[in-house]
Amino acid sequence: MPSNESFTSNERPSLQEDPVRRVGPDLGENEQTLQAIFELCSDVVFRSVALQDNAKLLLVYVDGMIDKDVVQSSILRPLIYDGLPQGLRTLDSLAQMCDLQLVAALRTSRVTAFEEAADAILQGSVAFLAEDEDSILLADVSQYETRAIEEPSTEATLRGTRESFTEQLRTNTTMLRRIITTPKLKMETFQVGKLTKTEVVLSYIDGIAAPGLIDQVRSRISAIDIPSVLESGYIEEYVEDTNYSPFPQMQSTERADVVSAGLLEGRIAIFISGTPIVLVAPMTFWDGLQAPDDYYERFLYVTMNRWIRYIFSLFSLLFPSIYIALTTYHPEMMPPKLMLSITGLREQSPLPTVIEVFLMEFMFEGLREAGIRLPMQIGPLVSIVGALVIGQAAVAAGIISAPIVIVVSAAGISSFVIPRYRFGYPFRMLRFPLLLLSGLFGLFGVALGLIVILSHLIQLSPLGSPYLEPIAPTKKNMLQNVFLRKPRKRTS
Amino acid sequence: MKKTMIVLCFLLLSTVTGGCWNLREPNQLAIVIAAGLDASEDGRLKVSSQIAIPAGLSAEDSNAGRNRSFVVVSAYGKDFMDAGQNIQTQLSRTLFYAHRQTILIGQRMAQNGLAKHGIHRYLDMIVRNPKSEIRSVIWIVKDGEAKDILGTKPVFDPLLSTALSSIQMSLGMKPYYYREFLADSLTHGGAILLPAISLQRSSTKFVYTGAAVLNKEAELRLSGYLNPLESYYANWITGRQRMLTVTALQSQGAGSSISIRVKPLKRHVSVYKDKQGMRVHIRLHGNGDIVENNTLLDPSNAKDLHIIQDQLGKVANQAVAHLIDKAQKQYKVDFLGIGEHVHRKYPQEWKSLQKDWNATFAKLPITAEVHLRYQDPGQTNSSM
Repeated sequence: MPSNESFTSNERPSLQEDPVRRVGPDLGENEQTLQAIFELCSDVVFRSVALQDNAKLLLVYVDGMIDKDVVQSSILRPLIYDGLPQGLRTLDSLAQMCDLQLVAALRTSRVTAFEEAADAILQGSVAFLAEDEDSILLADVSQYETRAIEEPSTEATLRGTRESFTEQLRTNTTMLRRIITTPKLKMETFQVGKLTKTEVVLSYIDGIAAPGLIDQVRSRISAIDIPSVLESGYIEEYVEDTNYSPFPQMQSTERADVVSAGLLEGRIAIFISGTPIVLVAPMTFWDGLQAPDDYYERFLYVTMNRWIRYIFSLFSLLFPSIYIALTTYHPEMMPPKLMLSITGLREQSPLPTVIEVFLMEFMFEGLREAGIRLPMQIGPLVSIVGALVIGQAAVAAGIISAPIVIVVSAAGISSFVIPRYRFGYPFRMLRFPLLLLSGLFGLFGVALGLIVILSHLIQLSPLGSPYLEPIAPTKKNMLQNVFLRKPRKRTS
Repeated sequence: MKKTMIVLCFLLLSTVTGGCWNLREPNQLAIVIAAGLDASEDGRLKVSSQIAIPAGLSAEDSNAGRNRSFVVVSAYGKDFMDAGQNIQTQLSRTLFYAHRQTILIGQRMAQNGLAKHGIHRYLDMIVRNPKSEIRSVIWIVKDGEAKDILGTKPVFDPLLSTALSSIQMSLGMKPYYYREFLADSLTHGGAILLPAISLQRSSTKFVYTGAAVLNKEAELRLSGYLNPLESYYANWITGRQRMLTVTALQSQGAGSSISIRVKPLKRHVSVYKDKQGMRVHIRLHGNGDIVENNTLLDPSNAKDLHIIQDQLGKVANQAVAHLIDKAQKQYKVDFLGIGEHVHRKYPQEWKSLQKDWNATFAKLPITAEVHLRYQDPGQTNSSM
C-alpha cells in the first residue's frame, strides 16, 4: 500500500527547493542535467537521433507513458527520412523546429526550466532537446494503459446509464461534457499534492451554482497543502466543514448522471485524477436516501420506494434499541402475546438482553466487514459460518435468543436499503450509542439519543446549505420532493 | 467540548452507579395474565392469579405436551395488594400485572361482596395502580369461584386471557372491558350487565352462560343472571350486540325452523313524558340474511316472505317483552340502560330520579317493538 504518511512536511523531496535551473545551448550539458534529475529512473528513456545534417536530437520520455506509434510514425520517421518538416517557412535547423514547435502533436509547449520539463516528461510528454537551442520542446503524446469504462459497481440502478467513471480524469470530464453540452459548464483545474501533483477539477455550471459556494470550495481546494492525494477522500476531508460528524457531507458517486443532476441543481463537483469517485457538494440528509434512478422511474413507484427507505433507515437505527427498551424496561407496552413468546424464547438465555444485542451487533458488523475484503473464493465461507454458527448454533445452544438474531439481522439488512452505501454507515454506527442508552435508560435513553442526533443534524450545514433542508428549515415548495417524487410535468 | 464530555461521562456514571436502574429482564417477571377475585365462605378475600409459563408457550417446546402453559396461584389477603404480596411469597419472579387481560369475579364475591361492602369498594386498586391494566375484560363466574375457571385450559388458545374476549366477539358482542365497567359503575342508578361464565361440570371446560346483573344501587351486588339468549337481547337494547341469529319455529309442520342472521343491529329508545307520567318505547330493528330454512316457505314469494318476517318478528318481540318483564318484575333493576336515556332526555328530572331509579323503573310503562327485515334469501329459494 502506498502511504503518504511517511512523507512529513520536513522530509519533502528536494526537487522543489532547488533553484530553477535553466536550459543552456549546449546539448551535452543539458542531457547531463536531465540524466542527473532522472538518476536511477530506469523507466526514463534518453534517445538521441542524428538527422541528415548531423544535427543531434535528444528525445526524453517515460517508457510506457507515451504513444510509441505516434512518436515513431509521426515524429521520428519524418524527421529521419524526410528531414526537417517544411511548413509555411523553410526550417534550417532543429533548433528552429523546436522554437516554432513544429512537431506533429496536438499539444506542444516550450519550456526553459529543467524542472518544468521533468514534470511534463513524468506526465507523458516527449521532450525534444536540440543542439544550440536553449529551450525544451514538449509534445504531449501521453498514452498509458487505463481501465475500460465499466458498469457502476457500488451504485447499481435498474434504469439509467451503465457507464461509471474511471481512474482517468479526462475520461470522466468527457462523460460529463457529453451530458451537459454548454460552455457554461466550467472545469477549473487545480494541482494538489507536492509529490503526486494530482489534478483536481472543480466543476460547476456558471449561473446555476451560487458564486459564494464556488468561491468557498475554490479557496478550500487551493489551501490544501499535503504531499499526496491518492483518492477523493483526501480532498473531501479538506473541503468538508467538519470531520467530526458521522454523516457524510458530500455525495461521492461513480455515476456521471448523478454528477450532472447535482450540477444542474446548483451544486459543485470535484473530479480527482486517479479515482473513479467524484465528489458532489453540498449534500443534504435526503440526498443520502435518494437513489440515482429515482428520477427515471415512474413517480408512484419511486414515492413508495422512498418511503420504504425512510422507514427502513429509521428501523435500522432504532430497532435494536427499541427492542431492548421494550423488553427490559417497558414490557407493558408490548402486546401480551408477543411479550409472552419473547419471554418464552428468552427463558434459557444466560446473558442480559443488552449484552446479547451488543454481541450480535458486533458479530454482524464483523461479518459485514469481513465480507467486503475477502477474495471472491472465500466470500461464501463467511456467510455460511455466519449463518450457521452464529445464527443457528448460538440459538440452538441457548446462548443467544432467537428474537435477538431476528432483531439484529433485520436492522442490519434494513441499513442496506439505504441506496448510497456510505450513507448507511452513520446509521449502523449510531446504533451502538443508542443501544447503550436504551440499555441504561430505556425509551427515555433512546429519545435522548435521538434528540442529540437530531440537534447535530440540524446544526450541520455543509458549505452553507442546511443538512436537513427542506424539512428544517422548512421550504414549502421543496417539501414535496422529500415526501414524494412529484411528476415532472406538474413540478415545472 | 472537553468540558461537556466530562460532564456527560459523570452523568452517565452517576446513573449507572447510583443504582437507578429499573431494568428487568423479561425472564425475571411472573406475567399475570388473568386475575380472579373470590370471597371465601368466612368473607375473606382470596385473589387468584393465572401466571403464564413462557417456556411452556414457546414454539419449540409446545410439542412436548407435558409443559403447562400457565399456573394458578392463590392467596388470601386484606385487599388485593396484600393478597398480591402473599401470592408473591409463592413465586420466584416478580409479579407483573400490566398484561392482565382478564378479571374474573366469583359468584360469592359478586353476591355478598366483602365485609358488608359490594365490589364497588374494591374497584380502586385496578385504576390507581399504574402498573395495572385497565383494558382487561371482566366476567362474573356463575355458580363457582374464579379460581376454578382460571384453572381450565381453553380449547384453542394456550391461555384463558385471549380466549374470553374472543368468546364475546364470536358471539357478536363487543368485549366488555374493565374501563367500560368502571365508567358504567360510576354513574348513578340502574344496573350493569357483565358477561358470565361457568364451568361445565362434566368436563373442565368453561362456557358462556349469559349475563350477570349487578345492581348499582346496592354497591354492585349481584341481582341475578340472564340466560345467553336473554343476554343477547339485553345487549341489543344497550347497544353492545353486533350480530344475532333469530330462529323461529314454524307452526305448520312440527320442528321445521327458519333462521335469520341479523347483522347491523339498531336500537332506538325513546322516552316520553305526558300527563300519565314517563313512558319508554324501545324500537329494535335489524336487517338480516336468511341463513337456514327448514320450512316449506319460499322467501322469493312475497306472501311467504311476509309470513317469515312475521314469524321471526314475533319470536323477537316475545323475547324482548319477556326480557323487559324480567327486568321490571323479577329483578326490579334497570339493566337495560333506560336510566341513561332518561338522564339524557330529562336531565333535570334525573337528578331526583337517580337516587332510587330502580324503583321508578320497575313501575315504568315500557313498550317494545322489534322489526326484522330480510335482505338476502341466501343461495336458494325454497327449502331444498
